Amino acid sequence: MGEGTGELGALLLADARLPTGGHAHSATLEAALAAGLPGERIPDYLSARLRTVARTEAAAAVLALRAGLDEPVDYTTVQAALAARTPSHALREASAALGRGLARLARRVRGDHPAVVGLSTAAQAVPGLRPMRPVVIGALGAALGMTEAQAARAVLYDDVQTVTAAALKLHPGDPLTTAQWLLDAAPDIEASVRAAVATEGPDDLPARSAPLIDQWAGEHTYATRRLFVA
Amino acid sequence: MPETASPATRQTLRLGVAGPVGTGKSSLIATLCRELAGELAMAVVTNDIYTDEDARFLRSAGVLDAERIRAVETGACPHTAIRDDITANLDAVEDLEEEFAPLDLVLVESGGDNLTATFSPALIDAQIFCLDVAGGGDVARKGGPGIGRADLLVVNKSDLAPHVGVDVDLMVADAEKAREGRPVLALSRHDAASVARLCAWVREILAAHRGGDHVPQDPGPMAPHSHGPDDHGHGHGHALHAH
Ligand SMILES: Nc1nc2c(ncn2[C@@H]2O[C@H](COP(=O)(O)OP(=O)(O)O)[C@@H](O)[C@H]2O)c(=O)[nH]1
Ligand SMILES: [Mg+2]
Repeated sequence: MGEGTGELGALLLADARLPTGGHAHSATLEAALAAGLPGERIPDYLSARLRTVARTEAAAAVLALRAGLDEPVDYTTVQAALAARTPSHALREASAALGRGLARLARRVRGDHPAVVGLSTAAQAVPGLRPMRPVVIGALGAALGMTEAQAARAVLYDDVQTVTAAALKLHPGDPLTTAQWLLDAAPDIEASVRAAVATEGPDDLPARSAPLIDQWAGEHTYATRRLFVA
Repeated sequence: MPETASPATRQTLRLGVAGPVGTGKSSLIATLCRELAGELAMAVVTNDIYTDEDARFLRSAGVLDAERIRAVETGACPHTAIRDDITANLDAVEDLEEEFAPLDLVLVESGGDNLTATFSPALIDAQIFCLDVAGGGDVARKGGPGIGRADLLVVNKSDLAPHVGVDVDLMVADAEKAREGRPVLALSRHDAASVARLCAWVREILAAHRGGDHVPQDPGPMAPHSHGPDDHGHGHGHALHAH
């Protein structure tokens, strides 16, 4: 166990109380249910995410963490590679909105750290796109001294808990059941952590998108009476 | 990525409007837009449980350009979005201030449904708490953080008072007692003099904000609970204990 903030950083990024805007997101669950996904299949939805979009994002966070420890810090390639692997405009925007909240936190708690200062390179990588959530998580991971596995797991855990928290608002159910869903997802989560840490570089970044999730996310943009941003 | 300008250097006043559902927050904001948009550059952010009803109401009122009215989703947690995690609102406010610079006034309407929700001073510079006479004459006396310590308490729909058996003067007097001198305004959109008083208050707080004479206050999520020996003044004489 380290002396610094790495272990705490991992907990901080996993905490639903972190005030960076996550509570208004459902990881596309609201749109999925609206499109007819049965509530009983939310665990399958989690598993599908963990093997596709979330796996890509976890690997991007690891690459960003490495970039954040480089000299000079440059997130251009990882931001561009992740954007290219996020074909849905709505999902890029959702990720950028979450990244914006996390970047505000990063500037507040570690504004002088090169990994945080360097986020300006991510902001310039793709015109009109703010640093995406995994990139900022990687930057925070670097600034707080987290390990690659911690950063990857933070992304995956947050993905699951975004769905489970939204599920309690969207579908009747026992809150304790959602804890079971998380623990049942352990094999998917840990497999994606290993894959993320084993990613060698941006060219190697998995391009695992999920066409239905992309479609639902797009439809959600036009939905009325939404509870969640995305 | 510029950090949001601190209140001391920001010319724009961010003004929150909180209070229970149906007390007339959206209408009050529409009134302010109608009265002030000619002299002040304005924008509005709304928080709804179901997205954008308030924003649509305000757009359809035609009192402000539609693009200057933004709705944010709150994940069914409208209280969180103005207090514990203000990210979505801060993003919307910053975007409006950037796109329509220079703005004089950004109004933020809270969503939600009860007496305890107030804005974090990290989001807004000043806040109005809105009650209405139809909620009953007792509400102001029962108190709560917004009633006790918002920068302005509005007792709205005073025109309805005779119909609901409420004595507006008494309700205002009760509120003034609970507020230790902070202002209370009886308002009706049908009473031009009261609307003029509301606008005057807004101009005053804007000037105070710009002059550096106004410090954003946190009404607090709950009434003060300390009863220790150091607890002089605050928390006494209020009927504010929200257990
Ligand atoms: N009689 C009267 N009704 C009002 C006044 N202001 C608002 N209302 C009505 O009160 C209801 C709720 O108003 P609204 O602004 O939507 O409340 P909000 O939920 O707090 O935003 C609407 O039917 C309004 O027309 C007023 O000054 N007098
Ligand atoms: Mg309203």
